[in-house]
Amino acid sequence: MLDLVTLTSEFERCRPALRSYILRITASRQDAEDIAQETWIRAQRSLEGFKGDSSVKTWLYAIAQNIARDHLRALKRWPEEVGDICKDAAMKDPDFFREAMTIRQTSPHGAFEIREHIAFCFTCVSRSLPLEQQIAVMLKEVHGFSVKEIAGIMENSEAMVKYWLYTGRGRMIEVFDRRCALINKEGVCHQCTELNGIFNPKQNAQEEAVKIQMVRDAGNKDKEHLFDLRMKVLQELDPFTSPAAELQLHHLEFDRKVMEGRAIQA
Amino acid sequence: MNPLITTLMTTTTTGRAKASTTRTTFHRETTVSTVINADEAIIWALLTNAADHPRWNSTVISIQGSIAPGERIVLKSTLDPQRSFKLKVMEFEPARKLVWGDGKGRRTFALKNNGDGTVTFTMHERIGGLLFPMYAKYIPPFDASFEAFAADLKKEAELIQSRSH
Repeated sequence: MLDLVTLTSEFERCRPALRSYILRITASRQDAEDIAQETWIRAQRSLEGFKGDSSVKTWLYAIAQNIARDHLRALKRWPEEVGDICKDAAMKDPDFFREAMTIRQTSPHGAFEIREHIAFCFTCVSRSLPLEQQIAVMLKEVHGFSVKEIAGIMENSEAMVKYWLYTGRGRMIEVFDRRCALINKEGVCHQCTELNGIFNPKQNAQEEAVKIQMVRDAGNKDKEHLFDLRMKVLQELDPFTSPAAELQLHHLEFDRKVMEGRAIQA
Repeated sequence: MNPLITTLMTTTTTGRAKASTTRTTFHRETTVSTVINADEAIIWALLTNAADHPRWNSTVISIQGSIAPGERIVLKSTLDPQRSFKLKVMEFEPARKLVWGDGKGRRTFALKNNGDGTVTFTMHERIGGLLFPMYAKYIPPFDASFEAFAADLKKEAELIQSRSH
């Protein structure tokens, strides 16, 4: 039997990671806050329904996942070229860099770090996956749930979770291998080093990039290994409290508005 | 597994399930069957995720549309890359049976859980009609394509099943 005191304690312990998970699947700061709050409300209401078949943490993620999934099903998926599209939009929008520079210069969470941009980039590009694949990949690769736990959270079979993980992970490996210049010299996307030049003009972007293990290991060509290292970057960052949180959340909000604007025009 | 099915399932020299074709004046039917060591949910997901087919299925160039009850799809096959086959999903029983086709033919995909962790996958296509004798010679044999389809499906499903994650 779960009591309110235990639930409150568990929820507060889970809240930062839960909020990060929701942000990473919705790409919306406001949605992350709202869904985390709604999860708390629904969990209190459903307290007697908790049978102890899973951990409280898994149960809370299942509630959050249901709310987020219903919300996301109504929205269009993003194309994998989301970075290119939003870069073009930013170049035409003088407010984007003015706001970003203000954050960079005044906020305690306004640093620009390449590794934080890697995490931001994955959040955006993963929205090009079918929703179930994106959710399964985030839960497993970033938030450390087992296949069995994910099956419980997603209310589906372990076999389907394995399928979503395999296809989602494979797709992301292929996209980043083709696009990301950090791991592929022929990669078309240099945004993280370009932005580093803008926000940290005194730094050598290449010197900064090689501080990241994924970049150092890029030559070994093991794509699975490089993907695991990319996921390690995400695992180690809380997108709400990291040194670059405010700057990256500003970028994320800009991207979300650009993509939703395109969806409306379409 | 049904001993009769086991007897009917033959393999090629490369170890792939062998397809068989029968012909009459007005019809041609091709069948392939293979045992897959994977959960039927994985096999069903592979069969019904249209956009994912070209990744694992060497006989498919593209499938546009949604493989769902009553939906229409446009299939481009390596058998005849210049043509687009406009097909309707005629039957859709999750993890059991899928049928798509048009006025000239029907392709049936069937899954049977053997209760021992394996699933028997059978793919069958019947083409024909009264005008079949007039165009039969223009339709290439399906056997090699069926064998490749079944082998690709088996390989991909077993790979996903075996992933420990």
